[in-house]
Amino acid sequence: MIAASLPVQRPSNAKLLVVDRYGHIRHRMRSEFAELLRPGDVVIANDAATLPASLSGRHRPTGRPIEVRLAARDSLSPHDISRFSAVTFGAGDFRTRTEDRPKPPTLNPGDRLDLGPLRATVARVLNHPRFISLQFEGLPAEIWEGLSRHGRPIQYAHLQIPLEYWDTWTPIAGLPVAFEPPSAGFALDWRLLASLAARGVRFGTITHAAGISSTGDPELDALLPLNEPYRIPASTASMICAARSRRGRIIAVGTTVVRALEHAAGLYGAVRPGEGIATQKIGPSTRLRLVDAILSGTHEPGTSHYELLRAFVAQQTLPRINKELNAGSYRTHEFGDSVFLEKAALRNTHLPYWNNDRSIA
Amino acid sequence: MSNGNAYSTDTQFAGLRVAITGGTSGLGLALVGELLHRGAQVAFVARRRDGVERVRRDYPGTHGIIGDVSKKHDIHPIAIQILGTLGGLDVLINNASDLGPVPLALLADTDCEDFERALATNVLGPFRLTKALLGSLAASAREGRGALVVNVSSDAAVNAYPYWGAYGASKAALYHLSRIWDEELSAQKIRILSFDPGDMDTPLHATAAPDADRSTLKRPETAARELGDAIAAVLSRGAPDSAVAACEAVG
Repeated sequence: MIAASLPVQRPSNAKLLVVDRYGHIRHRMRSEFAELLRPGDVVIANDAATLPASLSGRHRPTGRPIEVRLAARDSLSPHDISRFSAVTFGAGDFRTRTEDRPKPPTLNPGDRLDLGPLRATVARVLNHPRFISLQFEGLPAEIWEGLSRHGRPIQYAHLQIPLEYWDTWTPIAGLPVAFEPPSAGFALDWRLLASLAARGVRFGTITHAAGISSTGDPELDALLPLNEPYRIPASTASMICAARSRRGRIIAVGTTVVRALEHAAGLYGAVRPGEGIATQKIGPSTRLRLVDAILSGTHEPGTSHYELLRAFVAQQTLPRINKELNAGSYRTHEFGDSVFLEKAALRNTHLPYWNNDRSIA
Repeated sequence: MSNGNAYSTDTQFAGLRVAITGGTSGLGLALVGELLHRGAQVAFVARRRDGVERVRRDYPGTHGIIGDVSKKHDIHPIAIQILGTLGGLDVLINNASDLGPVPLALLADTDCEDFERALATNVLGPFRLTKALLGSLAASAREGRGALVVNVSSDAAVNAYPYWGAYGASKAALYHLSRIWDEELSAQKIRILSFDPGDMDTPLHATAAPDADRSTLKRPETAARELGDAIAAVLSRGAPDSAVAACEAVG
């Protein structure tokens, strides 16, 4: 796949690879997404807005430059924003690939960091020298002001243009609690939402604090995704319940929606409304209890997002999907093309796949 | 506050999350007091730190945000602070306004820069801020909390007053934007209202018409109470979605 290197949320030529529950693969335009839906389906997206979670500054004990990337938080409460988990880098910025960035100075509990107008202390060093628990000083309003004025969106070297806020907020972005964009939602616009309603498809949201996708360090990457707080409104839980009673499908826009809904799923397909913290990892051995299909970006093998997609497709379908994505020059990363995966009817079986020759539309 | 109004109680807007731009003088300041009095959680925006801190002190419990809605790069920092401090948003009041040239001028004598500033403050600012907050407003609407944007208008938006060209044209644009957006968002159950408070005794009016007889002007507190009632009326019309509510017992 090719890296999408321009911050355009909805390029008119965005592609959509569709894999149905039998493993049939088709190539569509993403603008045709609504046509894949049926009356009674519900589409659930993550309405988290993206925080400017990259904070540059100085490590006071050594005077050396440091970049702090806020990565996780224990709750979504607006008043509870003084403590974050964060990944740290040394000098430089997003233009250098994360794996090539200089290391931060050695961090110890109690070290003070000056991050623009924000003052913070290393509360703890977590299970990696670059991974810390960070405590901001000041009142919540002062921290919100400092973050909003000094922070920059987290970004990576495949995008050489500095991102603006509006590049990273999906059209439906609400509460600013995500650390990186819930980018599957870039595909949504208000016209699409109107067309869903016209098709008898309902639209609901959850709010999930999407964490960072990459740290530049394999040991740290192995910890991803971190625990992520989420909130499911009662209206969304009811919408899901109503859809299931009518055999409508639950369609998640993005991996974070899958993680939150599956975490909140009870027996018999009920969803617990309210706040929770998603702690589970979703992968090829996960049995999805609730979500029937996912609209997602194209993710590269080895990432936690890719592992999550494996929960939807049969093992024997994966190589064909990867082949089609590469042959079709699909673009990857947050501004790239998309996939729509229905949960496979025959997952984790090792039976020979009888539809191989129908894989190309 | 004089209180002969049956709607005015300190709990009427309990839990309602409201943001007001231009909240340190005139109608905006009166709205901070009025909505706080009715029990709302209030965030307000203004350009100058000293003004914001003064109002924050005078109205404990409010959230003051420093920002200029006419500046594109201020919009998201303002939105983040509104949403961060209130935890979401139910009502946005786009009240901050710019007169255009001061003293008021004939259009033929109006500098382009003054006209641009009026458009940036009175049209683009409300457009951008509303757009940035639309996701939160839609979430409020889906959750049955109600979602409302009020754009403060003027009779200069519909009447052709000489010397009010930049202001009147910008308010006319805002008025029409409100009407179109209200149509477009009706399916989302988000209301966009235009509100004309009338001629008020405010710093903006004094700048525009220094010789006006202030005794003939409406007090901003009166206009704020009228708008409070209008907001209450709109929000009371929003009913929870019965189709959704019906499933709760099953879930």
